[in-house]
Amino acid sequence: MRATGLRAMLGVQWRTHRRSMLVWILALVATLVGTAGAVAGLYTTPEKIHTYAQAVTAGNALAAINGKVEGIDSLGGVIQDESGFLFAFLLPLLGISLVAQVTRREEEAGRLEALLGGRVARHVPVLAGLIGTSVAILVTAIASALGLIAFGVPASRSVLYAASLGALAFVFAGLAALLAQVTLHSRGVYVWSLLVLAVAYLLRGVGDVTNTWVTWLSPLGWAEKAAPFGAMRWWTLLIPLALGGVLATLAVLVAARRDLGSSLVRGGAGSARATAWLRSPLGLATVIHRPAVFGWLAGALVIAGMMGALAQQFVNAVTGNPAMGEAIGMSGAQPEDGFLAITQLYIAIIATGYAVQAVGSLRGEETAGRLEPRLSGTLSRMRWLAVHGLVIVTGLVVIVAVSSVVLAVATAWSMGTATHLGRVVGAGAAYLPAELLVGGLTLAIFGLRPRAFPAGWAAFAVVAFIAFLGPGLKLAGWVLDLAPTTHVGNPPLGTVKAMPLVVLGAIAAVLAVAAAVGFRRRGVPQG
Amino acid sequence: MSTIHTVIRTEGLTKTFGPVRALDGLDLEVAPGEVHGFLGPNGAGKSTTIRVVLGLIRASGGHVELFGGDPWRQAATLHEQLAYVAGDVALWPGLTGGQCLDVLGATQGGLDETRRAALIDRFDLDPTKRVRDYSKGNRQKVALIAALAANVDLLVLDEPTSGLDPLMEQAFQEVVRERREEGCTVLLSSHIMDEVEALADRVSIIRRGRTVTTGTLAELRRHTRTHVHAVTVDAPAGLADALGVADYGSERLDGHIDSRFTIDAEHLDAVVGQLHAAQIHTLTVTPPSLDELFLRTYDAEGVPLEGTELGEPEEVRR
Repeated sequence: MRATGLRAMLGVQWRTHRRSMLVWILALVATLVGTAGAVAGLYTTPEKIHTYAQAVTAGNALAAINGKVEGIDSLGGVIQDESGFLFAFLLPLLGISLVAQVTRREEEAGRLEALLGGRVARHVPVLAGLIGTSVAILVTAIASALGLIAFGVPASRSVLYAASLGALAFVFAGLAALLAQVTLHSRGVYVWSLLVLAVAYLLRGVGDVTNTWVTWLSPLGWAEKAAPFGAMRWWTLLIPLALGGVLATLAVLVAARRDLGSSLVRGGAGSARATAWLRSPLGLATVIHRPAVFGWLAGALVIAGMMGALAQQFVNAVTGNPAMGEAIGMSGAQPEDGFLAITQLYIAIIATGYAVQAVGSLRGEETAGRLEPRLSGTLSRMRWLAVHGLVIVTGLVVIVAVSSVVLAVATAWSMGTATHLGRVVGAGAAYLPAELLVGGLTLAIFGLRPRAFPAGWAAFAVVAFIAFLGPGLKLAGWVLDLAPTTHVGNPPLGTVKAMPLVVLGAIAAVLAVAAAVGFRRRGVPQG
Repeated sequence: MSTIHTVIRTEGLTKTFGPVRALDGLDLEVAPGEVHGFLGPNGAGKSTTIRVVLGLIRASGGHVELFGGDPWRQAATLHEQLAYVAGDVALWPGLTGGQCLDVLGATQGGLDETRRAALIDRFDLDPTKRVRDYSKGNRQKVALIAALAANVDLLVLDEPTSGLDPLMEQAFQEVVRERREEGCTVLLSSHIMDEVEALADRVSIIRRGRTVTTGTLAELRRHTRTHVHAVTVDAPAGLADALGVADYGSERLDGHIDSRFTIDAEHLDAVVGQLHAAQIHTLTVTPPSLDELFLRTYDAEGVPLEGTELGEPEEVRR
């Protein structure tokens, strides 16, 4: 099997996708190095590190979320624990998205056909995609290791930690490459690989909590068992590298043998008529936003269900060790409330992510060319925008409400007492103005400067970083204030004041009006 | 809206995108009941004009009227009377073709059910297939059927047959003719000359955001030259210097005189008389095709012959 055109293909992929590649690398390295810097600045003495370690290992709850960190009684261990949750998703996503965007998405768009018509062998695009992604992963790992070393983490341990993260990304790159061969659309690649990731996360969590071999079933477990700050098991790297290699080889072999545009999994036929509901603007908008609602809701439910189920362990841990509450940013006075507050913040970030993506699909409608025919009928722009706004907000409320109820029920089950449903749902609802503000900001970008839409995701990334890591890393007050979630008041642990919520809501409303004014005045489509 | 003399009217329309001047004083008039061919090379500003006319983008200057109203201010109201097929057809990938038809139809205020069924049949479309599994041609069919089955007074079609096979192209032409018979006005942007020639009552040719020429096909042809190929027994006398004749060439072939030349339409009669005197063996008279009109409008360097009539003598170009 000669890799005809590999060099040309690598060139094409580099030119067309280098931006997202560089953004991924920069974001990941910045997150890790930023966390390392903050941790190094915060835990300056062995005593402080020891207190932190004592706190977070006092129960299973945090092990379920962040993973069981061996050798947590060290600077590196604290870093691994702090970034455990975020990196469990970011690194697999790095592998998935970099591979998906140069393989199935290109094939779907028909751009691959032009290249394969030239001097490029059929299996070369996926091979080139895997090579490019592997290089990106390698660069990320090297830069991360250097960053850790710079903050005083021992060199060999830094290298093993970075390598275990890189190997994790590589497994999912291989998986995505294979899925890109068997599903017809890039959406399928994302859906299936994220499903695998969710299962991997749950297996790792179950294994860590029950202290069993189940952890070893998960790629996230392999990264954890490398124990870079503990026993340093270098050989565990072989598992993800071997599996990733097998998946990648399979992907290349399948690509060489299958027809262009073909797949194993194909959708069936559907209805020849649209229902009256689908024909209405509200119905179509619902269909457009439904996948995003379900996707983010599923994520929120995993968090709410898992956290709720571990509520009792959490409370026990904090009651027995007030320092743990301190370490994860909640006081020990009302442990149950503190635990609910943390979970609600996680759900709020997920809901915010949904809001950004939902507004992004309006932009997607425009760039795909579907907004133009929509507005060349009897539907006015303002009505189109209002209907979509209504559906997006409804989806947001559904995500917050359903996951709050699940959290309340799971918590009640775990603790064996009746949790006040109203308090939990109320806490979730208190975050709505903050979520709407970020959604309003992205909507304003859509209305006024549609080409700058990626800035909406950048804003979300900043909010998520501050919310997840800000309190733990004890970032400066003005930095914490940048995230609207900070102003909600940490319910139900803290008291929610009406005024900040009103201000957040008012800003969101102003942004929405700005969006409407901008959208009414601008030309459609703006490519 | 009882007495509208024009369905679409633009005067000195300009549109700039930053430093780019997409429309530069474009004039367009589409009369009720006509099929108006809208011709121009890629990037001439056809789609931009259509978007301004539909109120999707705002004109930078000049005047635009749709059904006598302002499309930017009254877009949704004016759209009640029209259906539009965009240049790049995009549909919702998760819906079936039939569902997209209904959604697009609802956007235009409803479809004629009988017509919808007949057109699905005629265009041989499988409405149960998901859009993401459709070929380009099939997606195009969905957009076309949605527009052609709508109960509207105006069809705005931006390169509607790209991706269609010749059979479907023919079906499209038949349906457009039927819709015109029923009194529908059509603005047909295209660069398929045969299609415009077969359908259009009047034609506007634009170039770099400006109208170069406009008129009925007959009017455009009247000012252009007809190709004549005649084989005669004798040499036609004085033909080379006859009024209106150009590009004259003649040779002896197999005992006959084989002459080729071009001629102004108005002098054709006199010349045929002269040929007749030389005893016609075979005679082929070819009126200029739209292709030629189009190509002539842009000469070799791509500069339109501004201020010149289409029928200006050939000498001007030599």
